Amino acid sequence: MDADRLTSALTNLPFVLSSSPTAGREDEVTHSMRDLAYFIGTFAVALLLGIGSVWYMIEYGSPLTTTKVGPWASWDSEGKPDADPYTRAHVARSGRLPLSSTVARYFVARTDSNGHTLSSSCEYSIEGSPLNARWWSLAVYDEYGGLIDNPTARYSFNSEELLRHSDGTFRINLASTSRPENWLPSGAEDQTLILMLRIYSPRETDSLGIGLIPPERLPKIERKSCE
Amino acid sequence: MRVRIPGLYIVLGLVLAGLIHIIAVLTLPMLAPKNAHARLAALGPANTMIELPAAAPGRQVMPMMAPDVRYAFCRFDLANGPVRLKAAVPDDLWLIALYTPEGDNFYSVAGADMKRAEIDLVITGADQTVEEAGADAPESSDEVVVVNSPVTEGVALIRAPLVGPSRSARAEQALKTTSCGPYTKAG
Repeated sequence: MDADRLTSALTNLPFVLSSSPTAGREDEVTHSMRDLAYFIGTFAVALLLGIGSVWYMIEYGSPLTTTKVGPWASWDSEGKPDADPYTRAHVARSGRLPLSSTVARYFVARTDSNGHTLSSSCEYSIEGSPLNARWWSLAVYDEYGGLIDNPTARYSFNSEELLRHSDGTFRINLASTSRPENWLPSGAEDQTLILMLRIYSPRETDSLGIGLIPPERLPKIERKSCE
Repeated sequence: MRVRIPGLYIVLGLVLAGLIHIIAVLTLPMLAPKNAHARLAALGPANTMIELPAAAPGRQVMPMMAPDVRYAFCRFDLANGPVRLKAAVPDDLWLIALYTPEGDNFYSVAGADMKRAEIDLVITGADQTVEEAGADAPESSDEVVVVNSPVTEGVALIRAPLVGPSRSARAEQALKTTSCGPYTKAG
């Protein structure tokens, strides 16, 4: 009896039913039901694919819109009125008002030079060379782009205030507790970090007038230790 | 028993995904509810220079603001005529930038590129003209920069990057002397 019920239940499943010889009308109903399921499924997958790909290309960029150098990423046409739709959507969604890339370049890092996500529970050494620009600044933010509370009210280092070595190179120590040299505090709270390097009025430009920063000039972010 | 997804559905799915992708990218700049223009519009009226408080934890008008730059903005509205922006620029680092509500930076000038320490900028709409360079005062035409705006409403943002750790008071003071308002011939 149990077996009988199981068989009848099975024959009601569309895929099984369609393979068994049945009356034409029932066949038609299951076919249209299956078509409907396919259609809804197709639509759901399309929605997921369409929105997912847009979200990724706007949030993280793609080779079409961004330059990636080690851990740093920069939107090539950020702020430009003739920018591509992805860049314009990125800017609108970001809530920022970036200067056109012909006037300033912004580089964002979410990982260290080895690709590990930046975290306030780790200590980093950020080493760089002089940048050929009128002014630049390296700031640290939480994952939402907010500044991080710390006792020294230090949120960034800029080209005017940074302590440098005699050859012009510098090191910034990103750590939660006090460090010598240039200490950029990452806060007491355990969280992921974002670094932003803003470079105003770069002196070199490419053929489109976009500020040019030689890749080797961008700072290296080395993880020293983690708690 | 093999379940076959007809190729037609795969093609349909991909075409649909592509369409959704394109529509989302093109409409997003207009639909982003918390874009910078909306954030600044909540702070005060148009055609007035408003200084932003220095960015600090929990006190940021826009995300990822520079903690070592002082900002002042004017939300310009050209519906009733051109808007004039005046500033005494104290150093080379200052940047004055004009934006559309979607964040397109359609004009910018750096302190270093100005001939004079005082900038007098007139923002005009599509069919507005400014007779500043009139025959009776030919020399004044060099002193006034006329920028034709592609939008009726937008934002002028002044950036004063700090030149040293203890310079914020000086930058804030300089930003206070900037002005923004409806354009009148007398200035």
